[in-house]
Amino acid sequence: MTSDIASPIDTSLIDIVKVTKTYPPDIMALDDVSMSVGHGEMVFLTGVSGAGKTTLLKLLCFLERPTMGLIEMNKKDISKLSGHDLQKMRQHIGVAYQDFRLLPKQTVYQNIALAMEVRYETPKDIKQRVLELLANLGLADKIHTPTGKLSRGEQQRVSIARACANKPPLILADEPTGNLDPAATALVMNLLKRLNEDGTTIIIATHDQSIYQKSDHRLINLENGKLQEIIKVNFDL
Amino acid sequence: MSYISFIFGQLVRNSRHGWTSQVMTLFTVSLSVLIFSFFFLIYINMQKASSRLGNELRLIVYLEQEVPEAFRQEFKKKITDFDKVDKIVFISREEAFERLTKQLGRDSDVLEDLDPSFLPYSVEIFPSSNLKSLTRIKDFSDYLVSLPGAVKVQYGQDWIERFGYFISLLRIIVILSGALLILTSVFMVSYTIRLTLESRQEELEILRFLGATDRYIRGPVIVEGFLLGLFGACSGLLSLFFLFQWIKNHFSGPAFMNLFELSFLPLANSATIFLISLLLCSSGSLISIRKYLKV
Ligand SMILES: Nc1ncnc2c1ncn2[C@@H]1O[C@H](COP(=O)(O)OP(=O)(O)OP(=O)(O)O)[C@@H](O)[C@H]1O
Ligand SMILES: [Mg+2]
Repeated sequence: MTSDIASPIDTSLIDIVKVTKTYPPDIMALDDVSMSVGHGEMVFLTGVSGAGKTTLLKLLCFLERPTMGLIEMNKKDISKLSGHDLQKMRQHIGVAYQDFRLLPKQTVYQNIALAMEVRYETPKDIKQRVLELLANLGLADKIHTPTGKLSRGEQQRVSIARACANKPPLILADEPTGNLDPAATALVMNLLKRLNEDGTTIIIATHDQSIYQKSDHRLINLENGKLQEIIKVNFDL
Repeated sequence: MSYISFIFGQLVRNSRHGWTSQVMTLFTVSLSVLIFSFFFLIYINMQKASSRLGNELRLIVYLEQEVPEAFRQEFKKKITDFDKVDKIVFISREEAFERLTKQLGRDSDVLEDLDPSFLPYSVEIFPSSNLKSLTRIKDFSDYLVSLPGAVKVQYGQDWIERFGYFISLLRIIVILSGALLILTSVFMVSYTIRLTLESRQEELEILRFLGATDRYIRGPVIVEGFLLGLFGACSGLLSLFFLFQWIKNHFSGPAFMNLFELSFLPLANSATIFLISLLLCSSGSLISIRKYLKV
């Protein structure tokens, strides 16, 4: 059993060192987790419900603080970042939340645009990018629909589009295909794969075997808050 | 450029659901600017009138006997112990007689056979013509009458004294309405902005997840406060100006005008009121945004 999962690539983007996270009163969500993720990697994070996947992703974008241990992003301890640097860091991490976190009264367009507006992108660039993403995800006809009126599967794709909008160097996707049929799943995975081929580091937490079985990317399994095993699914070898 | 257009986009978006409270706030701010500057305007005009009065103001102390040359310095010192004065003049009987003759003009022949000795000796005191001496004139005269050798003190009329009291009352009103201005603009603006922020709470939380900087969140809010202050102060001062014109046109009887040559607030004062309300409204908006800026 190993709890030290090094990245196969030398220069790591993320280093998680002996991280423990407990929620009050004494729920051990993560227990002494260490791992690294290299620049440009795509990593699948699996585990039964309650294993701690979402918790791990939240720690990476500092929505939760680790109880113990160290998390480094680009070799910088993120707990030492100033408020402003943290905000900047979040601008460079696209997160697709398990619970979507969309604004239900605002349209698909406005929800996605918000991620780019906080970076002061021009309206022209924003429009172009949003249209492109919606076309890729099969949502072009929903552009002016308030997200509260969309189906769960459509909302899920909007939240993925928002995560990808800025072409961030790191994308964290929490159950990105949880509500999708195989066709929509393929659209989402194609988008993420293309971004990964362009150099984006992507971490995907998922139960969905179909999306990682056929891939040759690293697979990390969480069990009861511990990193249990690495399953290398490598068809080329 | 895109930052500015973004801010205005946000403002328009915000004012869509919060415009009633924004209008209320605008109204309150301009009303308190109006109230404050109105009293300030009266105060300034009164102050001017009082200094004009002050120039003509003198107290005359009638004495039992002439103050000998040797004691005059000491006598002056006793007077100035109480308050600063511009000038002290000792009037001999002959001088008093001469003045009386002049005053009577053509009728001065009634004095022809009289000896100046029927007139009392006196001292004329010209208080320094500021507001303070005007409001203390009664105390001053009480003090003078208690000086050795003083028989009686005469000064202006009763109304000068009342005028002095009125001005000090006005000063209190100016201070109170200034406090009102501060309270209403800070509280109303921060209240309105809190409403705006509360209606956007969900959005603000998501904005934080998306990495919005403080500047991004704060920008539109401060601009909103700033604009409320800008328009509030503008309309307050403009209404004052029209009110002033109206008063001037309706109360410009000749008698009245002699005493009060009404003048509007000097530019420096208007500008100060303007800037202060801008500052107050902006800081009112900052107060309410603070708690939303935690990362
Ligand atoms: N805010 C919280 N307060 C208390 N306990 C929490 C909190 N968030 C998560 N937990 C607990 O921590 C554990 C890990 O939760 P987490 O959401 O990370 O699991 P998960 O692997 O994402 O599960 P799922 O596959 O169902 O999404 C669970 O036992 C959960 O009940
Ligand atoms: Mg989860």
